[in-house]
Amino acid sequence: MREHALIADKLKKVYSSTSQKIVALKENDLKIEKGEFVTIMGPSGAGKTTFLNLIGCLDKPTSGKLNVLGCDPMEFNEEQLSIIRGEKIGFVFEDFFLISSLNALENVQLPLIFARNYKNNNKPRDLLKRVGLSHRLTHFPNELSGGELQRVAVARALANNPEVLLADEPTGNLDTKNAQELFSLFRNLNREEGLTIVVATHNVKLGYSADRVIHLNDGKIEKDERLAKQDGR
Amino acid sequence: MKFLILAYKNLKRRKFRSFLTIGGVAVAVAVLVSLLGFNAGYQEALTSDVDKMGYQIVVTAKGCPYEAATMILNGEAGLRFIDEDIYKQITSDPDIDKITPLLAQLAYDLEKMDGKGGFTNYLGIEKSYIELKPNVGFKSGGWFSGENTDEAILGYDAAESEQKSVGDKISIPGKDITFTIVGVFNRTATQEDGVIFLPLKTTQRIFDVEGKLTGIGIKLKQIEKISEFEERLYPIASIQVISMSQVKGTILNLVNSAKVLIMSVAFIAIFVAILGVINTILMSVFERTQEIGIMKAIGASKLDIFKLIWIETLIVCTLGGIFGSIIAIIGGNLVELLVREVMPYAPSGKLLLITPDLLAYSFLGVIIVGIISGLLPALKAASMRPIEVIRSGE
Repeated sequence: MREHALIADKLKKVYSSTSQKIVALKENDLKIEKGEFVTIMGPSGAGKTTFLNLIGCLDKPTSGKLNVLGCDPMEFNEEQLSIIRGEKIGFVFEDFFLISSLNALENVQLPLIFARNYKNNNKPRDLLKRVGLSHRLTHFPNELSGGELQRVAVARALANNPEVLLADEPTGNLDTKNAQELFSLFRNLNREEGLTIVVATHNVKLGYSADRVIHLNDGKIEKDERLAKQDGR
Repeated sequence: MKFLILAYKNLKRRKFRSFLTIGGVAVAVAVLVSLLGFNAGYQEALTSDVDKMGYQIVVTAKGCPYEAATMILNGEAGLRFIDEDIYKQITSDPDIDKITPLLAQLAYDLEKMDGKGGFTNYLGIEKSYIELKPNVGFKSGGWFSGENTDEAILGYDAAESEQKSVGDKISIPGKDITFTIVGVFNRTATQEDGVIFLPLKTTQRIFDVEGKLTGIGIKLKQIEKISEFEERLYPIASIQVISMSQVKGTILNLVNSAKVLIMSVAFIAIFVAILGVINTILMSVFERTQEIGIMKAIGASKLDIFKLIWIETLIVCTLGGIFGSIIAIIGGNLVELLVREVMPYAPSGKLLLITPDLLAYSFLGVIIVGIISGLLPALKAASMRPIEVIRSGE
C-alpha cells in the first residue's frame, strides 16, 4: 500500500461571525495516497475551497484531525506552516494571482526566494519551458493570455518541488481549449513525476479525467469515485 | 532577484506616488541639512571675520555695543564720533600691544549698483592699521605718500567694482576732490574688501570732522588683562570698550536661539514626511492584501513580508535622503542669498557649510526615520493571513 499524502479524520470547519455560524465543512473522513490525481467536485458553496485551504495549511480546522504529508498542521505555528506551504505544497488559484510587477520568470522565482534557494537556480526557466512558455520569460502578467497566466502559476507552484499540488478552480477563468491543456499538464505531472494533485472544479468533463472524483455537497462528502486508470495507466 | 529588487519593483509600480513621497522626504532632508549647514557655516564665517579683524578690542562712542560691533564688522560708517584726544590719551597704556585710530565715513553714490545708487564706505586709517591686520597686504602699489594727501587705497572688491587700479583717479560723490589710487589691498575675505581707504587726516579734512574718530582698534599684549584695561578707561565718560570675542559670543547665542526655532520647523517638516511615508506604504500594503496573501501561500514567512515592506520604506527614505542632500547642496546658494537679505549682519565667506559629516549624520537620521516609519506598515502586512486572499478569490 502506498503512503498517504493526506489523512482527514472527522474534519470540520465552522466560520463564526457575531451574527451567525456557517458550517463550511461537516465532519468528513478522507485519505489521499501519494501520487493520486484527485478532483473535488460540487456546486458553489459546497466546501471545496475550505477543504483545499485546510489541506493546504492555509487555514486550521475547527475540529477533527488532519495529517498532511506526515505533519499535523494543528501543532504548527505560523512560521512552520509557511515553510510547509513553501516547500511541500504548491498552490494554483482560479484568478492566477501572479505578482503584476514581476515578469513570468520572476514570478516563478518568487517561491525560491522565500525558500532562500534562488542562487544559480535554473529551475524557473526549466519549469516555464516545461509548461510551454520559454518564449514568454520576460513578459509581464498583463502581456499574457489567461491560459499562459495559469501555466505560469502552475510553474510557480512547482518551483520548490512540492509533494502535493493543490488547485482551486484552476480552469474557472480559462476557455475550453486552455482548460483541457491545463488538465493534460496536470495529468503529465502526475504521471511523470508522481506528483499528488488535488483539484477543486465545477467542470464535470475535466473532473472525470482524474483518477478519483470526490463529490462534496453542503460541506459533506457524498460520493468518492475511483475511476479506471486513464490514458493507458 | 532578491528582496531589495522585489521592493524596488513594487515602488516602481506606482511611480508618481512613490515620487511624491520621496519628494516629501527630500524636502525635509534638504531643510534639515541647509539649516544645520547654515548654522555651522555662520559660526565659522563669523569666527573668521572676527579673527581677521585683528583687533580684540574696539573703543567707540557710548551707545549700543552690538550695533557698533556690527557696523565695524560690516566695515560700515555711521558711528558716532569720539575725540582724537582720547586716542592720544590711551595710546600709552602699558597693556596695549598695537593700536590704530579709525574714521569711517560714507557717501551716497548715485551711479553705484548700475545706476540704482548706494553707499560707498570710506575708512580713514594710519599706518598702524596694517600692523594690526595680520592678513592685509598689497596686491599692487603701496602706502600713502603722506599723512594728508589726496590718495586712496582700494579694498580688493572695491577695486574690482570700480574697475580701477594703481595710478587711476577716483572722486568722492559730492566732494570736489580727485584722489589718486596708490594701492590695492589683497583680498581679505572680510567686509573691508569693499571699502575705500584714505589717510586719516585726509578723511577728517574732506568730511569736515577734524579731530574726530569713529573708533580705535586695539590689540592687547595679553587679552586676559581686558577687564583691567576696561577699568582704566572707565573714567572717560564718552566711550565704551567692546570686546570682539564677547560680541562674537553674543551673536552666536542669538543665532543659536534662532536655530532652535528654525529646527522646530525642520522637525515638523520631518514629522510630516514620516506621516507621508507611513501613509504611502500603508496604502500600498492595503492595496496589496491579496498579493501579500498569495506570497504567504507560496511560502513567504511573516519575517519575509515584514522585510519586504520595511525595505520599501527604507528605499523611499534613502532616495529621499540622497535627493534632499543634492537639493541642499545645489539650493544652498539660494538659501544663502535669502539669509543675507534677511539678516542684519551676515559675515563674509560662505554662510552655508555642508560638510561630509553633516551629510552623513542627516543620512543616518533619515535611515533611522525610515526604520521607524516602516515598522507599522510592515507589521500590518506581516500579520495578514494568507487565507484572506483565497477567500476573496472564491
